[in-house]
Amino acid sequence: MKYITSIGEREYHLEIVGENQILVDGQLLDLNFDHIEDQPVYSLLVEGHSHEAYVYLVEGVWQVLMHGRLYPVLVEDEEEKRLRNSIGNPAHHSGEFHLKAPMPGMIVAVPVAERQEVQKGEVLLILESMKMQNELKSPRQGWVTHLRVKPGDSVEQHQTLLSVVDE
Amino acid sequence: MFTKVLVANRGEIAVRIIRACRELGLQTVAVFSEVDRRSLHVRYADEAYLLGPAPSRESYLRGDKIIDIARQCKAGAIHPGYGFLAERADFAQACQEAGIVFIGPRPAAIAAMGDKAVARQTVALAGVPIVPGTESVSSLRDEDLLAIAPQVGFPLLIKAVAGGGGKGMREVASLEEMPGLIRAARREAESSFGDGNVYLEKLIEGARHIEIQLLADQHGNTIFLGERECSIQRRHQKLVEECPSPFVGDDEDLRSRMGQVAVKAAQAVDYVNAGTVEFLVDKEKNFYFLEMNTRLQVEHPVTELVTGVDIVKEQIRIARGRQLRYDQSDIHRNGWAIECRINAEDPFNNFMPSTGIITHILPPTGPGVRIDTGVYPGFAVSPYYDSLFTKLIVWGETRAEAILRMRRALEEYKIIGVRTNIPFHQKLVDSHRFMGGQFDTRFVEDRFSLEGNDDEKDPNENIAAIIATLVAHRENQRATNIVQRGKRDTSNWKWISRWERMQH
Repeated sequence: MKYITSIGEREYHLEIVGENQILVDGQLLDLNFDHIEDQPVYSLLVEGHSHEAYVYLVEGVWQVLMHGRLYPVLVEDEEEKRLRNSIGNPAHHSGEFHLKAPMPGMIVAVPVAERQEVQKGEVLLILESMKMQNELKSPRQGWVTHLRVKPGDSVEQHQTLLSVVDE
Repeated sequence: MFTKVLVANRGEIAVRIIRACRELGLQTVAVFSEVDRRSLHVRYADEAYLLGPAPSRESYLRGDKIIDIARQCKAGAIHPGYGFLAERADFAQACQEAGIVFIGPRPAAIAAMGDKAVARQTVALAGVPIVPGTESVSSLRDEDLLAIAPQVGFPLLIKAVAGGGGKGMREVASLEEMPGLIRAARREAESSFGDGNVYLEKLIEGARHIEIQLLADQHGNTIFLGERECSIQRRHQKLVEECPSPFVGDDEDLRSRMGQVAVKAAQAVDYVNAGTVEFLVDKEKNFYFLEMNTRLQVEHPVTELVTGVDIVKEQIRIARGRQLRYDQSDIHRNGWAIECRINAEDPFNNFMPSTGIITHILPPTGPGVRIDTGVYPGFAVSPYYDSLFTKLIVWGETRAEAILRMRRALEEYKIIGVRTNIPFHQKLVDSHRFMGGQFDTRFVEDRFSLEGNDDEKDPNENIAAIIATLVAHRENQRATNIVQRGKRDTSNWKWISRWERMQH
């Protein structure tokens, strides 16, 4: 099985040859790969060298945390890669922006009102979590709609709090 | 004399206090909020009582309820830990009136040091140098602050009068941005301390934060247990502390002068029990009184490892009316200790708090490692309280050995279920500036980045690529297996649930 694996700009061509062998950019490596049951903890012995990493899948990207460093890794087979290239990277159209709670917490203040115009970088909400107050800012210019929360409300992670639209 | 202690706190510090009580043969009482029923302090204590709903003001800040519980269960003393009610003079007073020993200073000393503006004036009168700023007025209006600011000079700091822990603090570069920052500081101070009053202090650039640990008994003896270096901070929150300070180093004269000034500040308010005097120290080794924390500090373990004094046990002995077991000449330093505060937050996502159930913990052990913690596998980290949930403390004969030990302990420490700032600490203890002891309180924000040096080739990148590819490959295989229904003996549901678990 062949994969094209990218970390930032760098692309690696990998081919899984068998249980214990892998081709990395044409170089054949002996390996032993294992994983702790029910934990995102993986162990790789490659040519005798031992590495351990946490691996999480976040929105299609494999996050590999190893020796205190985080590597965002995209793993695709040739077909997926071709498909992605043909679509290209569609520029994010303006449309609507939905502000979602990045963490569970309590709304401390809502300095904006429904239908109010906001500028990029303007504070939309203040969310308190773990005793820290976090200012959630607008990533773009627009108008506030669908304001769903008020000060004192408890919110869940990923809950949509309000939207910013073009008109 | 009391034989039962109520611990009016939660998390790692409640556990730490319970441990001291147990070793002294004292009975322990835990109090807890609705979300803390399964907390470690509840499991460890001899007795435990529900306080109320999760928000602090309905539970851990309910001094009245806590005193009622202490009365009913006949606890003779209350240890407040840090945060919550630890620096509330009215609570200490209420304990006294209820005939319960408050393990800490007298209410008057808490009040004198608790109002930061009054504290500045009090210690200045005792001859202690203070950072220039607004003098002796506790309730300044916005107009007053804006009028005084140019005299203090920019950059300056807006600080909460009732403050502590960096809450309600804002840095100001110019008069123009000041009104908005005053509002933000007041709002945060109001929500953290129930007091929106603020004052101004000149920002000393390139300063270090070095503090002196004190112990004072009820018989007029006050000693200092050396200093702690706490300059590694982010948004005024301490992240790493060490004892001794690499900046003070071999300068015994500076160390002893700071210690004596700290003792003087404490004596100015008739201080009793454990306390800490925080100083800002500039490049020329001038030091200025910042504030006095009239309680046990988060970072007390580094002093314990280096001096051999169990500060929490001493607090309890002092509260029982005993004389200090040490005089100043008994206090010696041995080796070096470093503490990393492990917070439930994601260093790769702007240190955003991370909540969830801790599913697994593999703690580092071995020589010279201490962990103070309040969690265990199965425990849910909630958004209601501070993100600090465990502290990793190491001791070494020298600073170099302590750093190397911390490096290996951080790599060993596996916590699954919430994101932690361990990767931040790993990067920090590896940095040349930290190793060289060359940092000030702005180091983390101004000169530190989690990103690697671009010009340096990372030897592990290809390993990360291999691991990710192998994990993705396994998942693809599993997904394929699910499609091929009925071809296996094991239930497909089992495979699906495993697959779903992998997604989190």
